Amino acid sequence: MNTFHPSAAQELDQADVARVLAGDVAAFEGIVRRWQAPLVNMAWRYSRDRGRAEEMAQEAFLRAWRGLAQWRRESSFSTWLLALAANVYRSELKRFPTQTLPLDAAPEPSGPASQHSELAEKLSGEAVRRAVLALPMRYREPVVLFYFHEMDVAAAAATMGLPEGTLKARLSRARALLRQRFPHLEEEHVNLKFSSQVEGKEAVR
Amino acid sequence: MNQAKIDRSAMLDAKIEAILAGEEELIPSSGFLASVMERVQEEAVAPPPIPFPWKQAIPGILATTGVFAWGAVKLFRQGLPALNSPMLPLPHLPAALVVPVEQTGWVALALGVTLLSWLFSRRLAGRGGLL
Repeated sequence: MNTFHPSAAQELDQADVARVLAGDVAAFEGIVRRWQAPLVNMAWRYSRDRGRAEEMAQEAFLRAWRGLAQWRRESSFSTWLLALAANVYRSELKRFPTQTLPLDAAPEPSGPASQHSELAEKLSGEAVRRAVLALPMRYREPVVLFYFHEMDVAAAAATMGLPEGTLKARLSRARALLRQRFPHLEEEHVNLKFSSQVEGKEAVR
Repeated sequence: MNQAKIDRSAMLDAKIEAILAGEEELIPSSGFLASVMERVQEEAVAPPPIPFPWKQAIPGILATTGVFAWGAVKLFRQGLPALNSPMLPLPHLPAALVVPVEQTGWVALALGVTLLSWLFSRRLAGRGGLL
């Protein structure tokens, strides 16, 4: 999903940082080129607003530019940059929160009666993603970062600057809240699968 | 019954996990890189912000603090006997007692302080390249 950096890319990051710190502004382009997709996608998961995601990612890059000298190389460049971006996104969303419904008011997926199972599944997926946005921030952010980091607890915890245990506990609580909100999701999923199989068989006939 | 509940929770979790993990990737717009670099270039050529002149300001801050502290001590000293007396005496300053020379002194002091602060601010502005 997110093409996180093998060692060659890390070396490129380090070389570009060194060039920027030596006064070569254009070298920052390499960093933006490599990191624009992850940072925009991360911002998208925080805000679910494409225009805003790009604005937030741009702000994160500017902060990175200003604070490049503060990267102490104790952690990898990716850890530093993603933690900085998470801070930027968090504070941006505090200043201008996204328009979200409370979790209880988040729309439930349409039922299994839907004729178009693929569309219904897409809608139920969107409903769950919207419900994540309606979670309180302390539970929302671990969910966002956990899936952004392809379910890597250690990476998500490093981005948030939290111990892994705390992140796991918050993830567990977030899952419980989502389960409460969507108690029939699995049935719908099964029904949808069943109805799509039936539709497929009928189409064959 | 309990096992069924656990199984159900696990299935729900798996479904939610599948939904959240299967998110499509967003591709940044074509002008994103250029717009970030444009802002970075702007920042790079902009003059650095003028740092607050702590060195010059500290004596002033200390002097102001000293004046306020002195005033507070004076007030406290004058206020204590007044608190002990049963009635608060009204301030009585007959005009005849106010010496004109003293007035002139205060005006001169105020003008002097104004002049000094004006010179000080001009000096700071000159160092910052504003003059």
